[in-house]
Amino acid sequence: MSAESKKVLYGLYTDEEQLKSAVKTARQGHLDIMDVYSPFPVHGLDPILGLSESRLHILGFIYGAIGALFGFLFMSWALAKDWPILFGGKPYWPVPSFIPITFEMTVLFSAWGMTITFYTICGMWPGVKAKILDNRISDDKFCIAFDVTEAEQRTISGFKDFFKRTGAAEVHEKTI
Amino acid sequence: MNLNTQFVFDSKLKRNLMIGMAVGALCLAWSAVGDDAFYTRFWTNYLHNAVFFTGIAFTAMFFLSGQITAFAGWMIVIKRLWEAMSQFMLVGIFLLLVVVIGVWGHLHHLYHWNTPGITDPSSPIYDKIIAGKSGFLNPIFFTVGTVGFLAIWYFWAYKLRQNSLAQDKYETPSFDYYKRERKWAASFLPLGGFLSTVFLWQLIMSIDTHWYSTMFAWYSTISLFLGGLALFIVLILYLQSKGYLEYVTREHLHDLGKYLFGISIFWTYLWFDQFMLIWYGNIGEETIYFKERMDNYPVLFWGNLVLNFVVPFFVLMRNDTKRKAGTMFFAALLVFLGHWLDFFYMIKPGARIAAIEAMEHLEGGHHSGLKSDAKDLSAAPEAGEMPRVLAGVSAPVAEQGHKGGEQHAQPKEKAPAGNAESRAADHEKTSHEENAHAETQDAHAQHTGEHGEEHGHHEEASRGFLLGYTLPGFQEIGVLIGFLSLFLFFFFRQLERAPLLPLRDPFLEESLHHTTGVYIDGEESEHDHH
Repeated sequence: MSAESKKVLYGLYTDEEQLKSAVKTARQGHLDIMDVYSPFPVHGLDPILGLSESRLHILGFIYGAIGALFGFLFMSWALAKDWPILFGGKPYWPVPSFIPITFEMTVLFSAWGMTITFYTICGMWPGVKAKILDNRISDDKFCIAFDVTEAEQRTISGFKDFFKRTGAAEVHEKTI
Repeated sequence: MNLNTQFVFDSKLKRNLMIGMAVGALCLAWSAVGDDAFYTRFWTNYLHNAVFFTGIAFTAMFFLSGQITAFAGWMIVIKRLWEAMSQFMLVGIFLLLVVVIGVWGHLHHLYHWNTPGITDPSSPIYDKIIAGKSGFLNPIFFTVGTVGFLAIWYFWAYKLRQNSLAQDKYETPSFDYYKRERKWAASFLPLGGFLSTVFLWQLIMSIDTHWYSTMFAWYSTISLFLGGLALFIVLILYLQSKGYLEYVTREHLHDLGKYLFGISIFWTYLWFDQFMLIWYGNIGEETIYFKERMDNYPVLFWGNLVLNFVVPFFVLMRNDTKRKAGTMFFAALLVFLGHWLDFFYMIKPGARIAAIEAMEHLEGGHHSGLKSDAKDLSAAPEAGEMPRVLAGVSAPVAEQGHKGGEQHAQPKEKAPAGNAESRAADHEKTSHEENAHAETQDAHAQHTGEHGEEHGHHEEASRGFLLGYTLPGFQEIGVLIGFLSLFLFFFFRQLERAPLLPLRDPFLEESLHHTTGVYIDGEESEHDHH
């Protein structure tokens, strides 16, 4: 997310089980993993990485509640208070006919709110330049990356040794 | 972990269920000896529970077939439980046979279309609308559409069960049986899907004979399915508390919880659709169904929505609540009772009106297509001869008849408009004030007071809710316990006949290691145990 470039050391694995055991080893050796990339969501990886549960869904609920309130209150204000119109012999405040639209507004706010929040957190706004370690990460390779911008040579060789021990197919260094 | 678990139906459980069944039989008998018109309370209680538990068995079969057809592997560890539940359809055939015999022998007046002479143009009680529906609503079609369809379904359920038991004899996991199983399961889906609509139209929707709703079959089938699913979750947790099903993890529970959550929302969608289409369309013969229920059964009407939507929606929304046995037990129990109450709500108001109309016919009353006219009965001098309970119940609606009287004076084409206004006003009243029912009662008391009639029934009416019709009373709850015990007795009998785990199922390993991939903070990992 920071504008400065980072020096990254990363290893590529060919199998998800290999990746999982490598992450376990890294955590046991207190190696500070920058990120893990995989072409598909690997079940059970989050607890191994020590990631806490996502809080995005809590925001989703809040956005949804805002959407429901907004939709319902706006319709009520517009159709019952500001400019009352009689539709098809229904009351001025026809609650049942508001419900589908309230539901749609809930879904809309929830979906858009979560999407925008997610993109903002990940630093993915329009015009941003993608920082791609390796194209094959989105194809068939699993990757563990370490941030080595300010690392000493001893730490870097420790990482390299770790990759070798855990069976990484390739090890590269890249500045992104 | 010992995988070869054999369920033992111990004598203590047997005794408890026997006691439950005895309670049910007593309560059923109690509601039969009560002072009631045409034994309506007895018959509605019987029909309600017979349809509910038979329907649960059907939806268990339907769900299982759907899972098998979709190559689902996760549910293999609980497959035998679905199978055992679906076998209850055999008992259901006999339970519903009693209702069918009642139709042929005119033993009950649950169905207005079954009144003798109602389709005969020369009869004083001739009803043109019902006569038009008599091609569908007649005893022959009723027999075919209830026990006939049930027999077909049971045949499929039986075949699927036999096939599943046969696989236990294989030496190694085999796909032979699985191909056969898929044929039975896939062919059951259209069979169950299409026939269940007719099944429920006949048994439940035709109680309100003049009324119809195209959403009804969906809505009531989903209600049955949720009732069954909730009971299923409760049973899994019960069996686990007894030391069985230790291989059913919170991952399986989570997926069942997702079904309970998602389909509860689907139920709400159907419930609301049915309501809104009728509310918006505003056709008198359709709207009367909801007007009756919102005015006279507000607790049932709103309670239904709270138990079946608000509770599962907010309780089961989060991931972690679906993975906790305690929360799931609580939510599933409430949803089970909620859907039982949903059927109570579908059956009781209509059956009460059908009984009142039958009473009117019996007394040689005039014909009227409008239900509100029937309610004038309690205001008529002959009302004194009416059985106590029914007179009391019909009293609150009599006020409607009074209101409706003005409409009758208007030209016919104007009637719906007048109707709409009063309904809209009533609707607001009900949504604003919970005690709309009480108001109606008061208004009624005034109305009858003006006319200076005999006051015997009005005490009954002013008491508010009448147990057995507006709310379940002791008898209803007793009958529920009885039928539930019968269902569970049969379920456990089926369960002990086969190992709880189909050890030769090719999908067994997948099911044992099933994971939803969800990680909850602070939850100990179960994956390492396998």
